[in-house]
Amino acid sequence: MTLLDVQHLTKNFGGLSANQDISFALQRGELVGLIGPNGAGKTTLFNCISGLHAISSGKVVFDGEDITALKAHETARRGLARTFQIYSASGDLNVEENVMVGCFMRTRSTAKAKARAREILLELNLSDLGNALVSELPVSAQKRVTMATALGSGPKLLLLDEVAAGLNPNEIEEIMINIRHIHDDLGVTVMLIEHVMELVMNVSDRVMVLDYGRKIADGDPKRVAKDANVIKAYLGERFVREHGEVLT
Amino acid sequence: MDILIGSLVAGILIGMILALVALGLTIIFGVMDIVNFAHGEFLMIGMYTGLLTAKATGMDPLFTLPVSALVGFLLGVVCYYAFIRFLMRGPMVAQLLGTFGLMLFLRNLALLIFGSEDRALHHGVLVGKSFEMGMGVIIPATKMAAAVLSVVAFLAIWLLMNRTKIGKALTATALNAQGARYMGIPTEKMNALAWGIGGASVTVAGALLVNFWSVNPFVGILFTMIAFAIVALGGFGSVPGAFFAGLVVGMITEIPGIWDFLSYTLNWDWMMDVPMTSFKYTGVYLAYFIIMVLRPRGLFGWKN
Amino acid sequence: MEKLRSAFDFSDFPPLDLSIAGIVGVFLLVFPIFPHSAFAMATMIQFLMFSLYGMGWNTIGGYGGQVDLGKAQYVGIGAYTTAVLLIRWDIPFWFSMPLGVCFAVIWSFIIGYPLFRLKGHYFAIATIATSLVLMDLFGVWEFVGASRGLEISPIKYHPPDFWRLIFKEDIYYYYVILGFFFLGILYVNGFRKSCLGFQLRSIKDNEDVARSLGINVHWAKIKTYAIATAFVSMVGSFHACYIKNIEPEDTMSLDISILIALMAMLGGAGSLWGPIIGAAVLIPLKSYLKEWLGAAAGLAGIDLIIYAVIIMLISALEPRGIWGIVEKVRRRRQR
Repeated sequence: MTLLDVQHLTKNFGGLSANQDISFALQRGELVGLIGPNGAGKTTLFNCISGLHAISSGKVVFDGEDITALKAHETARRGLARTFQIYSASGDLNVEENVMVGCFMRTRSTAKAKARAREILLELNLSDLGNALVSELPVSAQKRVTMATALGSGPKLLLLDEVAAGLNPNEIEEIMINIRHIHDDLGVTVMLIEHVMELVMNVSDRVMVLDYGRKIADGDPKRVAKDANVIKAYLGERFVREHGEVLT
Repeated sequence: MDILIGSLVAGILIGMILALVALGLTIIFGVMDIVNFAHGEFLMIGMYTGLLTAKATGMDPLFTLPVSALVGFLLGVVCYYAFIRFLMRGPMVAQLLGTFGLMLFLRNLALLIFGSEDRALHHGVLVGKSFEMGMGVIIPATKMAAAVLSVVAFLAIWLLMNRTKIGKALTATALNAQGARYMGIPTEKMNALAWGIGGASVTVAGALLVNFWSVNPFVGILFTMIAFAIVALGGFGSVPGAFFAGLVVGMITEIPGIWDFLSYTLNWDWMMDVPMTSFKYTGVYLAYFIIMVLRPRGLFGWKN
Repeated sequence: MEKLRSAFDFSDFPPLDLSIAGIVGVFLLVFPIFPHSAFAMATMIQFLMFSLYGMGWNTIGGYGGQVDLGKAQYVGIGAYTTAVLLIRWDIPFWFSMPLGVCFAVIWSFIIGYPLFRLKGHYFAIATIATSLVLMDLFGVWEFVGASRGLEISPIKYHPPDFWRLIFKEDIYYYYVILGFFFLGILYVNGFRKSCLGFQLRSIKDNEDVARSLGINVHWAKIKTYAIATAFVSMVGSFHACYIKNIEPEDTMSLDISILIALMAMLGGAGSLWGPIIGAAVLIPLKSYLKEWLGAAAGLAGIDLIIYAVIIMLISALEPRGIWGIVEKVRRRRQR
C-alpha cells in the first residue's frame, strides 16, 4: 500500500534548483535510506514533503491525500513526523517535556501526554534521562531524544535527518537498534537521510540517491552501492575514469 | 493651493532632516542587528549641544555642527564600549530593555542637568528670516538651511560608507560579521565605529533641528519612533533607503496640511472637524505597522 | 476538571520554594492588620497590580519569547471601559470589567493576526506603534474625555460599594486585588502545564521544530497574546476604580508598557515567580526612590536615573533576571 507518493517534485530557490523532478513512492512498512553527497538536496526534499517549504511544482500524496499545499503543522497532524539535523535547544524544556509536546497532537490532557511521553521514552531506552535538559546531554542522547519527540504523535511516516551524524560506533549501534525497533515493532514507515553508510546499508530495504537535486538511483542497497552514477557522484567522474571500471 | 504646496514643501524639508535622524539608527542596525531605543535621546543631546555651543561661543548655531558631531561620535563609542557590548551577549529581550534603560538614563540625566523647560534659539544668522518661494509659500530660513545641510551630511556619510576603506569594512561587517572577521576586520572596532558614526549623524541632526524646534529632555521618544518608522520603511540597514523613506515620512507628518487643503477644496465640512494635527505622528506609527505587515523588508532592505 | 486540579498542583516545585511562597502568601493576607502607613499600603497595591500585569505579559513574553512592548493599550481599554460605563450608565465594576476584557481580547485578535507575522525587534516596535496609535486616538476622542481623561468622583456613590468597587479606605481595594493576585497565580500555574503552555515553550525553543510537531505557531501565539491581554485589561479596570482618574498619557503611555515588560524580565521571564519577584523589587524601589529623592527640588530625575541604571545593569549582566540567577546557582549545586 502506497503511503507516500512524490510526483515530479521540484523546488527552486531563486535561480538554484535544489530539487529537480524527483519522483518516488514509499510503501507502508518500508525502511528507505536517502543518501547523496552534501548539498544534494536531501534535507530540502524532507522540508518540501513535510510542508516547511512550498514546492515550486509537483505533487505530494500522503496516505491517499494530496498534501502538496499543506503547511508543516498540518502534515504533522496527518501522521508525518520528522527530526531535524540541528537542534538548537534553549534549555527550557527537559527531555520528558520535549516528548510531551509531540504527544499533545493526540490529546489535550497534560496527564495523558505525560503518560504517553513516558511510554515512548521507555521504548527508546531513554527513561532515566527524563528530567535532564536536552542541551546538557551528549550528542547521541540528543539524537535519540529528537526521535522520541517525533514519535509523540504516533506517526505513520517518520523522516529521520542524519540521526547518526557525529556518533561513535557504539552509539551508532544503539541508534540502529532504536530505528529497527521503531520500524519493526512500532510499525512506523521510515525514511532516513544518512551519511553513515554502514547504518543505511544495513537497515534499509531500499536506498535512494540524490545528486545535485536529482534522483540518480533507487533500489536494493547492494546494487546501488555498485551503481556507476552513484560512485561518480561521490568520488567524482575523474576518479572513476582513472581507476577503472565499475560494475553496473 | 498654497496650503498644499506649503505642506508638500514643509514635508520634504522636514523629511530630509528626519532622514538624517534615522540614518544613524539604520547604520547601527545594519552593522550590529541591535535596535537602539535611546536613539532619540542621542538626538536630544545633539540638540542641547548645538544650543549650548551656540550660546557659549556666540557663533551661529549652524557653524557649531562639528562640535555636535564630535560629541555624538564620542557618545556613541562610549556607549558601545561601556554598555552595549555587554548587552549583545544576552537575548533580545535584554537588548531591548537595556537600550530602554539607556534611554531613561540619558533622559533623566538631561532633566537633572538642564531642567524641564523648553529651550530655543533666539539668535543666529538665519533665525527669524524666511524665504518666499512664490505662490504664497513661506519657508523659514533655518528650516531650509537645516534641510540642505542634512542632505550634505547624508551625502558625506554615504561617501564614507561606499568610497572609503573604513566604510567598506563597516559594510562588510554588516553583511557578514564572521566573514569580515576572517578577513582581518576587527568586529569590535567596527561595532564601536558604527555607534560612533551613528551617534555623530544623529547629534548633527539634532543640532540642525534645534534651529527651529525647541528642546526639552522629553523630545527624544517621538523622534525614536519616527526614526524606527523611517528605517522600517526604507529597509533596515539601507542608507539610500533611509533617505527616501525620510522624505516619505516627512510627507506623512504633513498630512494634516494636505487634509486641510482637501477639506477646503472639496468643501466637506466633516473633514474640518477631524483634529488631524493631533494625528500628525499617529500616521507615522500606522505607516510603520502597515509596512511591516505588508513588506517587512522595506523599500530597499536586504536584512530580514 | 483536570485543568482545575492542575492549577492547584504546585508539586513540581521544590519544597523550599513552596515554603517561601507560603510564607509570602500569609504575609500578604495579614499585612493590612499590622500598622502601616498609607504610603506602604498604596505601594503594596501597586505591587499586586504590577505583579498581575507582569504575569499576564509573561505568558506571551516569557513563556512565548515574544517581547511585547505595547501592553499599555489594554490597560487603557480596561480602564476606560469601566470608567465610561460607570460614569455614563452607572454600570458596576463586576459587569464592566468582563466587558472590558471582551473588548480588549477582540482588539488583540484584530491586531494580533497581522502582528504575529513579525518577529524579534520588528514585532516589538510594531507593538509599540499600535499602543501609541491607540493612545493618540483616545487622546482626541471626546466620548472618553479626550486628553483630559475621565474622573470618577467617589462622592456620587456611597462607599463602601462592592458592586462598583468604590471604597474610601484602601484596605478594601487591597483585598480585592489580592484576590485577583491569587487567582492569577493559579491561572498561570495551570497555563504553564497546559497544552498551550507546552506549545509556546516549544515555539520559543525552535519554531520549525514546533511546526513539525503539529503546532499551529501563528494561532498559538495569538491565543496567548489574548490571554496576556485579558490579564492586563482586568487590572486596568481595577486601576480605574482605584485611582479614579485616568488619562491617556498616564494609563497608556510607552513607559507603562515598558514597566510591565520590565517586571517580568527583571524577575525572570518564563518562570511563575519571576514577575512577582520583579514587581516586588521594582515597585517599592520606584515608590521609595521617588519619595526620598524625587520630591526634593533640584533632584528631579535622580530616582529615575537610579532606576534606569538598575535596568541597564540587569540587562547587561543577568538577562535571565533574578530567577535566572537562582536557577543557575541551583543547577551548579546539583552537580
